[in-house]
Amino acid sequence: MQSHTKDFRQGAGAALSDPKIQANLEGLYNGFHQARIDASDQTPDWEALQDKGRAIKAHTLDNLAYYLEMVERNVIASGGHIYFARDAEAASNYVVNLAKERGIELVIKGKSMVSEEMALNHRLEEEGIEPVETDLGEYIVQLAEETPFHIIAPAIHKSRGEVSELFVEKLNVPMYDNIEDLTREARDQLRQKFVDAGMGITGANFIVAETGTVTLVTNEGNGRMCTSMPKIHVAITGMEKVVPSIEDLGLFLRLLIRSATGQRISSYVTTVTGPRGEDEVDGPEEFHLVIVDNGRSKMLADPNLREALYCLRCGACLNACPVYRKVGGHAYGWVYPGPIGAIVSPMLTNLSEAKDLPYASTLCGACKEACPVKINIPRMLLYLRKELTQGETYPEHKSVSMAESTAVKGWRASVSSSFMMRLSNLGGRLLQLPFVRGGRIDRLPSPLSGWTKHRKFPAIASKPFRTRWKNIGKK
Amino acid sequence: MTERNEFFNTIRQALGPQTEAPNLTGTGSSALGDNSDAVSARSQAIQAYIDEQSGPLMDSLSESATGAGWKVARFDDLDKAGDHIVGIVRDVEANLVVRSRQDVLESGIVEAWLASLGVDVVPMALGEHSEHTVDELRSLAERADIGITGVDYAIAETGSCVLIPSAQVSRLVSLLPPIHIAIVQRGQVLPTLDELFTIRRRDFLDGNLGSYMNLISGPSRSADIEYTLVTGVHGPGEVHMILVG
Repeated sequence: MQSHTKDFRQGAGAALSDPKIQANLEGLYNGFHQARIDASDQTPDWEALQDKGRAIKAHTLDNLAYYLEMVERNVIASGGHIYFARDAEAASNYVVNLAKERGIELVIKGKSMVSEEMALNHRLEEEGIEPVETDLGEYIVQLAEETPFHIIAPAIHKSRGEVSELFVEKLNVPMYDNIEDLTREARDQLRQKFVDAGMGITGANFIVAETGTVTLVTNEGNGRMCTSMPKIHVAITGMEKVVPSIEDLGLFLRLLIRSATGQRISSYVTTVTGPRGEDEVDGPEEFHLVIVDNGRSKMLADPNLREALYCLRCGACLNACPVYRKVGGHAYGWVYPGPIGAIVSPMLTNLSEAKDLPYASTLCGACKEACPVKINIPRMLLYLRKELTQGETYPEHKSVSMAESTAVKGWRASVSSSFMMRLSNLGGRLLQLPFVRGGRIDRLPSPLSGWTKHRKFPAIASKPFRTRWKNIGKK
Repeated sequence: MTERNEFFNTIRQALGPQTEAPNLTGTGSSALGDNSDAVSARSQAIQAYIDEQSGPLMDSLSESATGAGWKVARFDDLDKAGDHIVGIVRDVEANLVVRSRQDVLESGIVEAWLASLGVDVVPMALGEHSEHTVDELRSLAERADIGITGVDYAIAETGSCVLIPSAQVSRLVSLLPPIHIAIVQRGQVLPTLDELFTIRRRDFLDGNLGSYMNLISGPSRSADIEYTLVTGVHGPGEVHMILVG
C-alpha cells in the first residue's frame, strides 16, 4: 500500500473539521472502549493473563527462528505449503502466481491487514483476477475505494445513509434505509461470490508452531466461508503471529477478543491445519501459508522496538487514544493507525516521511493501559522521537535541520554556567528589541519564524528573576 | 542462497547470538516441554472431571449460551428434544433440512421426527449411504432452510459448540443454512477453552488433530455499520442449542 504518512497534519485537519467523523469516533469510544473495560473487569485475574500473554510473546519472538522452523515442519507435515516472503512484493508475487497457475478468476478475501500492506487487491486486479472483500466493513471500504478506518471496524466512519448511497451506485440496488436490509443485500451479493470463487484468502490471528495450525477469529462467518468453500485456501500473515503450543490459544483468544470487542468470545473461532483430510466431505484441496517479514525484522533487531511485535491487533489502543479518537484512522496514512500504528507504520515504511506519527500522541499512557499484553507504547514513541532528532540507530531518518541542532547546542552552552547565562540573557534582551510589541515577541525572522507562527512569546524580562529575587530578599 | 534461507538469515541476524533450542521453563507457556504422557494424564483428569460435574456444567453452559445469543432449550431425553425440533421446523415452514452424521443423529431420529411434516432430510456425508456427489451436497446445503448437527464438545465459559469436521461431519451444515440447530449431550461440556485445547493437544500427539475445527458461539453477527448489531451476515442468523440429559 502506498504510504501517505507524511500527510498526517492534512488528514488530521480534515477529520477534525468533519462533524460526521467526529460523531462516529465518539461512538467508538462509548462502544468498544467501554466494552473492553467491562470485559476485563469481569475476567478473573485479568492482569495475570496479561502478564502470561506478554511473557509468551516475548519468549516466542526472542526465539523466532526456532518457532518459524517448527511452523514450517508442521505445515508441511499436515499436507500444506509454506512460503516465507521477505517483503510485500515477494508475498504478492507468490499469491498472484499461484492464482494464475491454477487459472483462478475470482478470489474471496477474509480480513487481512497484511494483504493491505501488500496492496494485494490492486496486484490481483492488474492480472485480471477479481478480489472480493467479504467482511462487511471491508466490503464497504472496497466498494468505496477507500482504506480501512479502524483495525477491527474498517467502515465505522460511514453512516447507514452513505452505505445505502454507495450500494445504489455500485450494486444497482434500491435505496435501503435500515441496516438489516443493507446487511442482507451484502449477504446476497457475497453468497454467489463464495460459490463461484476458486481461491479464499484470509489472514491469521495466531499460528501455532507445534501443530502448524492457523487460527481465525471472526463474527460474521466470512472466515469460515473462505476456508470451506473454495478449492484453495491461502492464509497470509506477519511473522510475529506465532505462539508455541495449541494450549496457548485459550489464553490468547481471551486476551484478543475481550480487548477487541468486549465479547467473551467471537461468534466463530476457526482452526485450520492443512488442506481437508482425505475422508472429509468438503473444504479446500490445497492450503498455503504465506509468512511475511516486510520490515518486521527491523523491529525484531532493535531491542527498543521488539515489543511492538507483541501486538495482537485488537485495536484497544486506538479506542483508548485521545488523539486517534479525534483524528481517526485515515490521518495516519498507512495500514496501521493509532498508537501502535504510530510505531509500526513508520518502521514498516519510512520513518523520516512518517515523522509526525511518533509526535501524534500526548504520551498519556492510555494505550499502554488498554493493551492486553502491556506493550509500552509511550516509551517507544519517545524512542522514535529521539531517533528522529539524534538518529543513532536510524541515522538515515534523522530529520532535524542543522540550524535547529546548532541552536540547541548554543542553548546548551548558554546555560552551562552562571556567567554564560547572564551573558546570553543580556544578549537576548538586546537582540529582541526590534521585535517586541507590548511585552510580547509577535514575529521573528526566518529561520526562527516557525516559533511565532501560531503564538506570541513573552519577551525576556528587563530584569532577570535572579536579580529581582535578590532585591526581594533585601526588603 | 534460497529465498527461504535468506529470510531465516535475516531473522537470525536480528535476534543476535542465541541457543537454537530455547529454554521453555519460566515462560508460562504450556508446555512444549511436556511429554506426551503428561498431556494424556491431564486429558484424562479433564475427562473424569467433566463426567463427574456434567450436571453443573450443563447448567453453566445453558446460561453462557443464552448470553452468547443461542436459543437454549433443555430436555431429559432425545424424544422430548425431538418434539421441540419438530416445532422449530414447523414454525419456519422449512422444506429442506440438512444434517451431519454424528452418532447422535445416525439412528435416523431426525428423519423419524420430521417424517410427519413431509420435510426432506439430507445427511451431508459421503460414502456408502450417500446417493449424492460433493457438488450436489453443497448445493443442497445452500438451499436448505435448516442445518442440524451434534457437537464434539461444548464450552461452559463461552457458550460455544465445538465442531470437528470429519468423514461424517460436513463443514457446511452449520454454516450455509440460515438456521442451525446443535444438539449437546450431557458429558460433552468442558469448563473453559483451556480444557478444549489440552484435549486437542492430546489429539494432535495421537495423530488425530484433523484439518479443521470450529468454535461456534451464537449467531453470525456484525456491528460494522454504525455499531448496530445485526445477525445472520454470512452464517446462520438463528441458532438453537438443544441440551439433552
